[in-house]
Amino acid sequence: MEEPIIEISDLSFKYPQQKREALSHLDLTVTSGEWVAVIGHNGSGKSTLAKLVDGLLVPETGTVKIAGVSLTSETLWDIRKNIGMVFQNPDNQFVGANVEEDVAFGLENQGVPREQMIERVRSALESVGMWDFAQHEPARLSGGQKQRVALAGVIALRPKIIIMDEATSMLDPEGRKEIIQLIKNLNQKNGFTVISITHDIEEASLAERVVVIDDGVLVQNDKPENVFQRGAALIESGLDIPFSEKLKNEIKNYGIEVPQEYLTEKGMVDWLCQFISKK
Amino acid sequence: MSIHFEKVNYIYQAGTPFEHQALKNVTVSIPKGSYTAIIGHTGSGKSTLLQHLNGLLKPSSGHVTVADKEITSTTKNKELGELRKHVGIVFQFPEAQLFEETVVKDIAFAPKNFGKTQEEAEKIAIEMADLVGLPDNILNGSPFELSGGQMRRVAIAGILAMKPDVLVLDEPTAGLDPKGRLEMMQMFEKLHQRQQLTIVLVTHQMDDVANYASHTIVLEKGEVIAAAPPKEVFKNPQWLLEHHLALPKATKFAYELQKTGKFSFDKMPLTEKDLAAAIANSLKRGGN
Repeated sequence: MEEPIIEISDLSFKYPQQKREALSHLDLTVTSGEWVAVIGHNGSGKSTLAKLVDGLLVPETGTVKIAGVSLTSETLWDIRKNIGMVFQNPDNQFVGANVEEDVAFGLENQGVPREQMIERVRSALESVGMWDFAQHEPARLSGGQKQRVALAGVIALRPKIIIMDEATSMLDPEGRKEIIQLIKNLNQKNGFTVISITHDIEEASLAERVVVIDDGVLVQNDKPENVFQRGAALIESGLDIPFSEKLKNEIKNYGIEVPQEYLTEKGMVDWLCQFISKK
Repeated sequence: MSIHFEKVNYIYQAGTPFEHQALKNVTVSIPKGSYTAIIGHTGSGKSTLLQHLNGLLKPSSGHVTVADKEITSTTKNKELGELRKHVGIVFQFPEAQLFEETVVKDIAFAPKNFGKTQEEAEKIAIEMADLVGLPDNILNGSPFELSGGQMRRVAIAGILAMKPDVLVLDEPTAGLDPKGRLEMMQMFEKLHQRQQLTIVLVTHQMDDVANYASHTIVLEKGEVIAAAPPKEVFKNPQWLLEHHLALPKATKFAYELQKTGKFSFDKMPLTEKDLAAAIANSLKRGGN
């Protein structure tokens, strides 16, 4: 039986001095071990949602439950131990003079004994493939390497949930691939629940579920292939239009009938081959 | 205004244990009026090359010619003032350089510095804001209350206010969402077409190279390994693979189709439009 790890009900939030609610009566349940992508245009309320889940903001209405415990000012500190967050700009989150110390920072804060700490730092760095860089200065790493170290800092704390807030958006294509692959491993092999707030279509396509937020309202909560059927409207939700959808639209302009449903790139190749064979 | 590099070498921290040669015997031209893309891995020398375009770095040996001005290792900084009006460089995350109280003042800073009166400079600022698509109602507000994409436009308008002939862009869309990215790229295309600006784009996005560039320079470990139009550079997937470079999505898809043996393309398409045209053509003609 799969247990819910995040239960959000009727969640609303308004920033001071703003008329519109940043988030409006949102309901969402995430199962333990799931990978959910959250998409939406800039200012749609995605990051607000992440901050509410981590208790960085206090909601106007509604409740958040993490692993069965309601988020309140009393439970806040225990709940945060369940959640690790990685943010957009890798340069903004380093505190240590070298990679190893940086990863150890959170453990020191939690008062983990030294013996255990050494072990946990090592295994966290190994799981992101950065153990060889333990003595390096974070500032001298590439963007992708920096984000891997940031992830190691989170993993070392052994949270149940990892929230990635546009954690790949500042990386070059190679760095982005590295991080996406890593999230995949952490999710599938280590069983972390992953919430990835993203504008990257590839990142979103790997999730089990995509949640679309528009002006603070949850407008769709479905499998990636169903969400991607939104086609051109996806760009208003902060995602790029999938390549296969763009190509389908272009081909349609030549009076060729194309399938309605979303096709992956491989699906598109298969369909084209069938089409041409029938001729 | 064309730019030419002749046997340029650049060495960081020469004569120290940290000595590192970032450019090796680079001889290459950026044609006047072109939209030139510079591609290559992190550490391939893109940024070093870029900083030679307006004399922020001077060659350790060899020379760079920009608008009849020759820059060598001995060129004095005060000789470079004029040149810097011709070549505007937009660095990565340029919004980090904003500092003024209002959008107009920020954009007007450079023309004022280059000797325009307050009034003239503000007039230029308003024109430039319009050129980069900033709405009028934000011009007298703080640049720091704008969205990331708009802040970046303000910073770019500040560079354009110097009225450069060459606009150099170092990964100008990094960190923007897909819609912001598209709008930003369309804006540069417009500047290229309407203002006849020469554009130099440093990018990792091969689709942008395919969609916008007329010329490509490929760098690897400080050396130029190719300088040709995109369709030449993307012609040989094996070569690209060897040099760890990606193909534009449409080209990659076309190769996948070709592998099935049911499609063949005389010219490899670079963009979705070209690809769709080629596919439609094959479908109508029937299979191989």
